[in-house]
Amino acid sequence: MKTMHETSPTVPAAGNGPRYPSHRLSPWLVEVPASARSDMRVPARVYADEELWRQIAKDRTLDQLLNVSTLPGAVSAAYAMPDAHEGYGFPVGGVAAFRAKDGVISPGGVGYDINCGVRLLAADLDASEARPRLEGLVHELSRRIPAGTGKGGRHRSGGEELERVLGEGCRYLLERGLASPEDLENTEAGGSFETADPRAVSDRARQRGGDQLGTLGSGNHFVEVQRVERVFDAKAATALGLREGQLTILIHTGSRGLGHQVCTDYVRAMDAVMARHGIVLPDRELACAPFSSPEGRKYFGAMCAAANFAFANRQAITHSAREVFRRTYGESSRLRVVYDVAHNMAKLERHGKQDLVVHRKGATRAFGPTHPETPAAYRGVGQPVLIPGSMGTASYVLVGTDEALGLSFGSTCHGAGRAMSRTAAKKVQSGQEVRKELEAKGIIVRAPGGGELAEEAPHAYKDVDRVVEVVHQAGLARKVARLVPLGVIKG
Amino acid sequence: MDHTSEVQLEVGAESLAGLAAEAGRALGLLMLRGAPPAPEGPSRLLEVTSVDREALLVDWLNEILFVAETEGWVAVDFDVLEASPTRLAVNARGVSVEEPPSLVKAATFHGLRVVEQAGGLQAGLQAEVIFDV
Repeated sequence: MKTMHETSPTVPAAGNGPRYPSHRLSPWLVEVPASARSDMRVPARVYADEELWRQIAKDRTLDQLLNVSTLPGAVSAAYAMPDAHEGYGFPVGGVAAFRAKDGVISPGGVGYDINCGVRLLAADLDASEARPRLEGLVHELSRRIPAGTGKGGRHRSGGEELERVLGEGCRYLLERGLASPEDLENTEAGGSFETADPRAVSDRARQRGGDQLGTLGSGNHFVEVQRVERVFDAKAATALGLREGQLTILIHTGSRGLGHQVCTDYVRAMDAVMARHGIVLPDRELACAPFSSPEGRKYFGAMCAAANFAFANRQAITHSAREVFRRTYGESSRLRVVYDVAHNMAKLERHGKQDLVVHRKGATRAFGPTHPETPAAYRGVGQPVLIPGSMGTASYVLVGTDEALGLSFGSTCHGAGRAMSRTAAKKVQSGQEVRKELEAKGIIVRAPGGGELAEEAPHAYKDVDRVVEVVHQAGLARKVARLVPLGVIKG
Repeated sequence: MDHTSEVQLEVGAESLAGLAAEAGRALGLLMLRGAPPAPEGPSRLLEVTSVDREALLVDWLNEILFVAETEGWVAVDFDVLEASPTRLAVNARGVSVEEPPSLVKAATFHGLRVVEQAGGLQAGLQAEVIFDV
C-alpha cells in the first residue's frame, strides 16, 4: 500500500492557490510530503483516483489539509477522503489524530454540526410490496418529521429532560420507551457518550436547540426511502439483515442548533487561550487547546453532550418513522436499525500503543471485523458504514476493515462530497427542473422550496460510485450493498 | 463569492460601523433567502464585545443568527450607536418570521479578513467572512 507508484511533480490545477509537490503512493492514494510547507508536522495524504484528485485539487481542500497537518501532536498523516472538498478549518472529508497526552483538540476539526450522522432502517417489506402506499408513506413522514432550521419537534426537551438527553443520549430515550435495546446496540458508541458533560453546554446552546429533538434541520439533511438495488457481498448483507429488493429508510441529521452553538462557543473560547498555550495557527478557525488542558477537557465534555443530543435526535426521528410506518403498512410492520454512524466527531481512541484524539470531519469511523467496538452482531463482518449519495443517486452500505486502522485511523468517506458551490448549482438547474428530473425517475420529492432542491441537486456532487470504489479498492471499507432512492424528504 | 460547500461573503464600507451594518444586512438577506425585508415594529438593542476587530465581526453576525433562530426575528436594518474594535452597540429593526429562517449555522473564523482599503472613492474597510450553511 505504501509503495511508491509513480511520481507527479506538482498538484495539478489547484485553482489560483499554491501548488504543492506530491507523489502517488498507489492508484488510490496521493501524498503531499511534510517538506512541502515549513510548518507541516506530518504529511498530507489524499485517497483519490486521478479524476477525484483533479477535482479535489480545484478548490482550497489541500490548503486546509496542510493547515491541519501543522496542529500540535499530529501523528502519522492528515488524511482527506475521496469525497473531500473545501470547508472551514478542516476540509470536509478530513481526518487527523493528535496525541492525547500532548496534542490538541479543535472544535473546527469537528465542525458546527456535531455528530451529524446517518442512520439506516431496514423494513421487513420489499419495495414492491410497499409501492402502492409509498406516496402516503413519504407524505406522512414529511408531516411528522419537522424540517427547516429552527423548527421544534414533538419530543420537546427542556430542564431536567434536556439534561438527561445531553448526559445519556439514547439511553434516556430507551428509558422513555422511544428506543429498543437493539437500537442502542446498533448505534455507534451505543448512542451514548459517557464522557459527556452537560454542565459544559452553555445556556445559549440550550436555548437554541432545546426544542429541536426529533427534527431534521436544513441544508443537506434528509430522510430518504430507498430500495436495496444490489448486494455485492451476500454474507455481509445477510449479517446486516439486508437483501435485494428490500425497503430501507436513511436518516441524515445531527445535533441541530444546540451543536452549532456549542461549536460557536468553543471556537471563541479556544481562540482566546491559544496564545497562553503557545499555539500559533495558519487558520484561526482551527482554534484549539491541548486535550489535557481544562479548556480541552471542557470542550470534549460539551461536544460529547451535543453528540448525545444528535444520537437522541436520530432516535426520536426513528420513533416517528416507526409510528408512520405502522400506520401505513399495519401494526405488525417493523423498521430495524441496521446502524447509526457519526461523521463529525473527535473521539478518544487507542491506536497501537497510543491514545489519540481522532478528529473526523465529514468522515466516518470504519472499524473492522475484529475491533472490540464493532457491535457483537457484526463481529466477523465489520462495522457498518453508511454512505449517502446526493438526491436522486445511489447510497451505499459498506463494512469497515481491520486494515483501515493503519491506513486512515479506521476512517472512510461520508458521502459523495460537493463538487460545486450552491450558487453554481442553481445556475445549472432550477429547483423546478431538479424536481421534474427526480419525479421522471419515479422519485417522490418533498422539499421546503425550489432553492433548496437546486442547491442539493445531483450535479452539485461528485460521482458517489467513483468515491465508493476508491474507498473499496484502497481497503478503507468493503462494499456490501447499493441503495437507490424512491422518496426524498429534504431538510 | 464562490465556495464549494459554504457561503462566502464580501462586504465593504467606509467605517467599522458601516461594515457591521452592511454585513448584518447581507446576513439578513441570506437568512431570508433574498426576500426583500421591510423592517417592522420597534428597534431593539444588540450588543457584542470581542477581543479584536475580526472576532467582533464574527461575534456580531453570530449574535444576529442566535436571535433569529431562538426568537424568529431577523434583524435587517441597523443604527450603530457605538463601534470600536472590541465593542458594538446597535439599535436594530427587523422582521418577525413564522418559522426561524433557514440556511446559516454560524459565521466562522476561516478566511476571515477585515482590511483597510487605501485612498480614493474605495477608501474604507473591506471584510470577508465564511458562513457554515
